[in-house]
Amino acid sequence: MSLVNFTSFDFEQLFAMSDDTNPLMMLIWILPIFFFVFYGQRIQLYVTSGEIKKGIKKLDEFRNESRDELISYVNKNLKPADDPIPKIDRFIDYFTIMPVEMDPNGIVDKVQHIVRSREDYTREHVRSLSPQMSDIELSKAQTLLEIASSLQMIYKIINHMYLTAKKQNNYPLILPLQMILPFIMEQSEAMKEAISVFKKGQPVGDGIGPMIVGKMMLEREKETIAFQTTLVKSEFEGRKLFLVKAEGPGSTVGRPADGLEKIVSENKIDAIIMIDAALKMEGEDSATVARGFGAAIGGIGTEKFQIEAIATSKNIPVFSIVVKQSVKEAITLMTKEIADTADSVREQVNEMIRENTTQGHSIVIIGVGNTGGVPQ
Amino acid sequence: MIFKKKKITLEYTVEKCSKCGVEEKRKYSEGDVLFSQCSKCTSCDGMMMIEKIFGESLEQ
Ligand SMILES: [Zn+2]
Repeated sequence: MSLVNFTSFDFEQLFAMSDDTNPLMMLIWILPIFFFVFYGQRIQLYVTSGEIKKGIKKLDEFRNESRDELISYVNKNLKPADDPIPKIDRFIDYFTIMPVEMDPNGIVDKVQHIVRSREDYTREHVRSLSPQMSDIELSKAQTLLEIASSLQMIYKIINHMYLTAKKQNNYPLILPLQMILPFIMEQSEAMKEAISVFKKGQPVGDGIGPMIVGKMMLEREKETIAFQTTLVKSEFEGRKLFLVKAEGPGSTVGRPADGLEKIVSENKIDAIIMIDAALKMEGEDSATVARGFGAAIGGIGTEKFQIEAIATSKNIPVFSIVVKQSVKEAITLMTKEIADTADSVREQVNEMIRENTTQGHSIVIIGVGNTGGVPQ
Repeated sequence: MIFKKKKITLEYTVEKCSKCGVEEKRKYSEGDVLFSQCSKCTSCDGMMMIEKIFGESLEQ
């Protein structure tokens, strides 16, 4: 026995089609149509804004949490001379104005100048919280500050978009917000989770490049080639290797392009190999290793530009080897899968050297990425 | 959401003997730094070096 017989619905009865003279039934059918024509968008606005509100509440929690974590870290580990809270609150709200792009000539230098002065400024002011802190502690505090500052900025922008749409009862205005919110939430959640990793000084997924090069550097003489950037000269099957990575285990990406510039100005280089983490596409497996040409380096683009310019002017081929991962994996504790690629990547680097150079050549190998928790 | 499982990350440290290559996986403990030597190898007289520090996620 079936409770609902799907094959013999009485449609006429169900929709009252047979009785089209009944004015009451007609009204019942027509009223909602008018109602939705005029108020449909507003209803949708209410439904969507409920979801967005939840997201914004979460973002608010994230920014407060990150601020509290930063304050507790400073108070616990850095022993500041006086109350750091007002200073920290001021840093968190610092903004960066990017240069105009109308005349692109020389814009890379301008962007680099602004970004670097911001970094220098933040570093000096974090240092002023507690003059005796070590460089490693300093870099950790700076990273935490950057996370807190980004979360603050994200919250403000999203909240602004939401409130504007709501104030003007403007449904189309809320659509782009609804579209980007899932991406924003994913990134913000990752940033929030990254806090504890950087605090403990553990390696992140993005640190796979520095980890591989750092291991090659062990027990060799290190020199500082650029700001927060280490160089080791080594040898491999008759080739001269210049190993470059950011100086660990502090949390920094260093300035590999400056380092490369210096190496190239003093030596004849025949190839550049870059090892980096790269964003995987949705559906792609995490921790897959891929090889290619061109400079594999993320960030705002200034380092990439500089490396490409050097390689072009000296006619040096640039090879890359990347370990794919998601946004979240890149900035949170390195996963087992990513860590396990280390040996295979190193083997592939060796292969690349054998394939593309001959004995007597000189090769620069750059481990790109945040070197937090990765010494050399 | 009702169906979303809570994910927890377990932190591990892998030590490897630089002499005989024996590997040992243990729970991460505060202060572990990559590439640092931490203990004596159990099967030979070499030193164990921290080879990897990573997280494994578990769904609860
Ligand atoms: Zn051993």
